[in-house]
Parts: sequence; structure tokens; C-alpha cells
Amino acid sequence: MLQYTFQRAALALAIVFVAISVLFGVMIALPGDPTSVLLGPRATPEIRAMFREQMGLDDPVPLQILRFWGRVLSGDLGTDFFRNRPVSEAVLGALPHTVALVFGAIFWSASLGILLGAFSADRRNSWLDRLTGVLSVAFIAAPSFVVALYSLLLFAVVLQWFPSIGAGEPGDILSRIHHLVLPSLAIGLAWVGYVARIVRASMLEAMNESFIRTARAFGLPRRRVTYNYALRVAILPAVQVLGVGIGGMLSSAVFAEIVFSRPGIGTLIYESVSSRNYPVVMGSMLVAIGFFVTCALIADLVNAALDPRHRTSR
Amino acid sequence: MQKTSFDRTVPALSRRQLLGGAAGLSAAAMFPVTAWAQGDRLNVRVYTEPDEADPLDASGFGEAMLYGCIYRNLIQYVPGDTWDHRLDLAESIEQTSDTTITFTLKPDQMWSDGYGEITAEDVAFTFERNLDPEMNSRILPDIGPLARVEVTGTHSGVFHFDEPYAPFWTIALPYLAGAIMCKKAVEEVGGRIDTNVPPVVSGPYRVREQRPGERWVLDRNPDYTGDSPAEFERCDIVYIGDEAAAEIALEAGDLDFTEVSPGSVARLQDEAPDNTDMSMHPSLFYVWVGMNLDNPKFEDIRVRQAIQNAINVNAILEAAWYDVAEPSTGIIAPGLIGHRSSSMIPPEGDTARARELLDEAGIDRLQVTLNVLNDVTFTTAAQIMQATMAEAGIDVSIEVHESGSFWTLGVEDDGERWRDLELIMNRFSMLPDPSYATAWFTTEQIGDWNWERFSNEEFDRLHTEARTETDPERRDEMYRRAQDLMEESGAYRFITHGVTPNLYYTSVVPATRPDGLPLVQYFRRA
Repeated sequence: MLQYTFQRAALALAIVFVAISVLFGVMIALPGDPTSVLLGPRATPEIRAMFREQMGLDDPVPLQILRFWGRVLSGDLGTDFFRNRPVSEAVLGALPHTVALVFGAIFWSASLGILLGAFSADRRNSWLDRLTGVLSVAFIAAPSFVVALYSLLLFAVVLQWFPSIGAGEPGDILSRIHHLVLPSLAIGLAWVGYVARIVRASMLEAMNESFIRTARAFGLPRRRVTYNYALRVAILPAVQVLGVGIGGMLSSAVFAEIVFSRPGIGTLIYESVSSRNYPVVMGSMLVAIGFFVTCALIADLVNAALDPRHRTSR
Repeated sequence: MQKTSFDRTVPALSRRQLLGGAAGLSAAAMFPVTAWAQGDRLNVRVYTEPDEADPLDASGFGEAMLYGCIYRNLIQYVPGDTWDHRLDLAESIEQTSDTTITFTLKPDQMWSDGYGEITAEDVAFTFERNLDPEMNSRILPDIGPLARVEVTGTHSGVFHFDEPYAPFWTIALPYLAGAIMCKKAVEEVGGRIDTNVPPVVSGPYRVREQRPGERWVLDRNPDYTGDSPAEFERCDIVYIGDEAAAEIALEAGDLDFTEVSPGSVARLQDEAPDNTDMSMHPSLFYVWVGMNLDNPKFEDIRVRQAIQNAINVNAILEAAWYDVAEPSTGIIAPGLIGHRSSSMIPPEGDTARARELLDEAGIDRLQVTLNVLNDVTFTTAAQIMQATMAEAGIDVSIEVHESGSFWTLGVEDDGERWRDLELIMNRFSMLPDPSYATAWFTTEQIGDWNWERFSNEEFDRLHTEARTETDPERRDEMYRRAQDLMEESGAYRFITHGVTPNLYYTSVVPATRPDGLPLVQYFRRA
């Protein structure tokens, strides 16, 4: 297991390095001079020249990439020259909002998806199973931004149960949860369908396993066998899917953060790309990719821990 | 062993506990949010996030809205329909010669937090630190040829200029550069405020906190000594970039005031949310279609004039601005010195004349590329132009750019794209002084913001002289002539200044500048 953990961790680091380096190159290659975009027409030529020098924009791209990694290795994400603040301050300020949003989405997708999938498998081929199947596909098909807009209109405008903007009052956990419900639901709903279908399929497979037949033969109640034994095994593929799905949820978080006017890594990246604020883009991307890769790594390791076949199959 | 294993799989919550918890969470989540939008809390949307508490680093209207709440100026814009100012910190202020402005402060105007009285030393410090090259002030251009501020007494002083500078009254004193800072407090923090919560304020509100990417939370300033105290205990300046999101937020009760998109005006007029009202204001922005004069395709002025005539501004406004904006006559909006009453080419254009001009130039069909921002208003406008210009024999290809790419299309420092640039549909923001409009079209600005590469000696001279002209009538005449020159060059087709529709709850009485931008410090309860 230790060797497997090291292998996966090394691969994760390599992915982060390659992804960020490529992104850096692409970012620099994009048209759009950051000093013009960032500073606008009011800036004097002297200020623009100073910005170019401070941002190292006149250096060759490979040197800029090396300098970026050098800073990262010393724990410095750089400086947001536009706001004259450390990038880490902006990123660490936004990160908790995005993490909360993604984990909120995982909560919805896991709780509803597992419930629906297990329920569906337990009542295989019944009309409830078919209805659950239709619902699952509908959830998968509904784009996050459409769900976000309609949930806003229904729950925020018409019913006024939930706020439409913001992340809630700092230090007030109820307010934070209150503001998290709609955006996390908008992101998580699409994954409910995936998780439900995967759990259903896995459960049906698990129900035919010998340990389930043995448990039944021992006379254990059907519900306990289904929900305690079969479901435990059937959840594993869903954990893997959700681990990898965090990347998709991060993408959806950009929409959700814009539609719900929430602070977060998504809006930070979106606005920084538009303004060609390179240090903030790279710092945010590093953290976002790092977060995604870490979650995928954890999902891998959890799977490997729960099911040793995963360690040997790679 | 087996028993232990069974225990681990038993859920920690019973079904009853789970259902009870879910019901409790649902109930907690249904606290009515509308309660926030009423009473002692005001929520006003801003479309560009204020980033800086120090005016030296200010970049635009977001900061202006914030500074209006937390700082004071010698004079402030008056809410209403005309560009005028009222005295704020100043008891009197007047232009005493072409190059001097003399002011006297009201006595007993205080800083917060025990920093004492606001004095002429503070005024001098505020303006003069912009002049220090080491401070790298972003608002330095706004103060023009200001040389120094002479302190003549505790409450009096004189601004000295190297040459006359009329815009000082319109874009410096009542705007960003004119937000008076406390010398003692700023020096204590090293000469520049680099925290989100300024150590001292003078306006009706003070900063409680900034939540980056979301809002500035302001509280009533108990130490305020001016004549327009805060009406609300708490005032949130809420950053929402997207207009559609802002409209929904207002309908949900999370905002009290927001600008809405022109496309929503008809719907909101027909089905206005309960207890809301709408006001419409002519914007200062200016939108135009420009032609790159250095592109061989536009060498012949008849080609440029054909394009001017082929563009039907009325059709564009109907489709892209939903018929709520007026055609513009130039780059200077109504209400400002230098506004022209009409343009040379009528808004509807003249397709027949465009065809004639192309024939005279020996062109059967002209192929051009129109560059626009990836904004639905501009892409719609581009499609309308594509359709109407085809009737005159001009085939338009549309190139849509995201903002980072678009805003450097004509910038020489950003590569060679400016060489191939043909038509550009552009929109510039504006301050309430005509010099701010003409500044971007001088010869000096070629390759920077003058993407048409328009160069005219008379225009350059008029721009320079009008800035120093203190006679309003003479200035008016000069700016009108400058716009004539732009239009005569054939490189410009003026489209509109747009419109600022504001939606707000009737529980508040909003206060706005003539262009509809909110002056939050003057908002009152109904």
C-alpha cells in the first residue's frame, strides 16, 4: 500500500507540474497586454513600464515559468501587482468558499444519488425503479447553469426561501449553510444521476456475490443485507467517480459562483483571465488543480484501501 | 470480530433523528431573506468591484462609489439631472485666476477615531502626494497641471496650476482625486493605505470589512460631522458583475438598488416586481464604429464615408439596445460642454449614398471585418450592421473577442494585430468632462487607445487648448469642432451613449448622478 501511495503521489505531482506549466505557456501566448488591460487608460507610460518590469513580462517565457516554480517551491505564489497584495492572500481568501461549494455538491450528489441508486436496485424492474431511472437521466442531462437559474427563480425569487447572492455572514454557520444550499444543489444535481446509476448497477452486481447469498442463508433480514452489506460494496465505484468528478464540479463552480455572485476560486480565475492578471491566474490555477488532483488521489487511495484489487490492477 | 464489523456499518443516526435533522435544517434555511433588504440596511449593487481604500490606487467608479460613502471632498456631485456640484468640506471655493483656485474649509469638520479636525494641511497632503513620482499614483492624470497646494491658514489654501485646467472642477475635485485623506493617519501607516479597512474616515459611513469578490460592508460613522449623515445603520456595496444576476437578486429582495440591462426594461416595465420603481438616465459612455486609417482598405475617404452611410444606427439601437437608448452625435454626451446637437450623417444612414460612394471608389462589393467584444449587446449590434450594410454592398465578417484580447486589439505594444485591424465597434467609459473623451483620439494616442490611428493637427490643438480654456462657451465651441473633425475624417460612425436603467425598491429614495450612477451616501428611506 505504501509503494502504491508513493506512486500515486508522484504521478499527482507530475500532473500538477505539467498542467500548470502548459497553462502558463498558453496564458502568455494569449493576445492581451496585461499592463493595458489591468491599468486601463488612466495609467501613465511610466506606471505601465514599471508594471511590465515588476511582472517580468519582458523575460523569455521559459524563464518566467522557471521563476514561477522557484517561487512556488519557496512557498510564495507571487504578488498581485494590480492590488499590490500577495496572491496567496487572494487565493486563500477564495478557496474556502469553493471548497465548501464543491463539498456541498458532493453532499447532495452522494446522499441523493446513493439513496436513489440503492432504492432502485432494491426494487429492480418495478415502476419505481423505472421512474428513478428516468429521474437519473434527467438529472444528468440538466446543465448546471440551467439548474442554477431555475432554482434561483423558484427558491430565491418566487418562494424567497434562500438568498440569491453572496456567501453569508462570516462566523455565522447557519447563514453560510443557508447561502450554500442553492449553488451546491445546482452543481450536485447533475451528479445525482451518475451516482444513482452507478450505485444501482454495483448493487445489483453485489447482490449476486456469494457473501450476500451467505448472509441471506444465515437468515439476516433482507433490508440489513441490502443496505448494510451490499450497499457498502456498491458505494466504492461511486467514491471513485465523485473523486474524479471534483474536476467537473470545480468547472461548474465557476458558473455557480457567477450566477449566485459568490466569491471563490472560479470567479477569481475568470476575472483574472479577463484582466490578464497572470500572477493571480497561475496562483489560483495551481491551487485549483492541486485541489482536484489531491481529491482524485484520496479517492484512489480510499478505493485501494477498501478494495485491495485496485492496488494490484494497476 | 464479526460483531464489531456489524457495529461499524450501523448508521450513527436513527431514521427518526435523520428526518428530524433534515426538517430542522430545512426550517433554518427558510428564514425569510427579505428582512435584510428593508429597515436599517441598504444593499446597493456595483458592477465593478472596488479594490482599494486608498485613492492613489483607485481605478474607476467602484472606488468612487465607496469613497463617496467613507471620505469627503471639497465639493461633491449633486444628485439629479444636471452636472453640478455642491459644497461639502469647503465653505467656499472659487477660481481666483486662470491658474489658482482658492478654498476655505468649514470649521469643526472632524476625522473619525480621534484624528482631530480636517484642515487645509490634509487637503494639501491629499493632492500633493499624487505629484510624488515615488507614489505611482494611478489618478495622477486627473489632477492635470496642478503644481502645488499652498496652505494659507488652518482652514484655507490655494491650488496653484502650471497652466489653466478646467477639468479640475469636474473630474478631480468631486471625484477620486478629490477624496481628502487624513495626513496624520496616512503617514502613520507609511504613506499609503494598503489595508481594506482605512484607519480613519470622514464620510457618513465607515468600513466594517471587505469581503473580496462579494461586498464591502459599511456601518454608520458615528463621528461624521457633515450635513448629510448616514440614513442606514449598515450599507453594503455589493459587487455583481452580471446584470441578469443582479436583476434576480433584486427580485429576490437581496438588493435595494441595481442597474439593469436595457434588454430587461420592457419586461420590468410591464411586469415590475412588487414595490419597485424604475428610472432611466442617459449614460456618459460612448459607443462608435471606428476604421483603421492605416489599413490600405480604408485609404480612400469615399470607402470610409460609404461605411458611415451604410450603418443604420436606428436599426442597431432597436435591436441591441431595445429602443431605449438614443443615437449619439459624437463622443460627448448631452448635458456636457461640447455636446453636438446633431451629427453630419443622420442616424438612419443613407444606403443609396453609400452605394454611390462605393461606385465612385470603383468597388463593387467591399469585404470588411468588424471586431466586437463578446457581449450580447455588441454581437447583436454587429449582426444588425452585417445585415444592413450588405444592402449597400458591404460584406461584414464579425470577429468576437473576449475582453482581455479585445482591449489590446489596437495596442502596438501587444504585437502586430493593429496592422490588420479594420472595423472596430468600441465603447469607452467617460467622466463628466469633455477633455476625458477627446484625450484618446489625439496623435499621441496612436497605437495606444487611438485604434483608428486618426491624426489631425487641428484636433490635437483643440484638445490641448480646450483643457486650458476657462470660458465655458468657448470650450463648448472647441469640443464641437473637434467632433466635427472626427466625423469628417470618415473614420468614425457614432452610435449611442447608451442608457442606464435603474431598478429599486420604493422603500428607498435613490440618489444618482445625471448618468444614473448611484451616489450611495445620499440614499434615503422613503
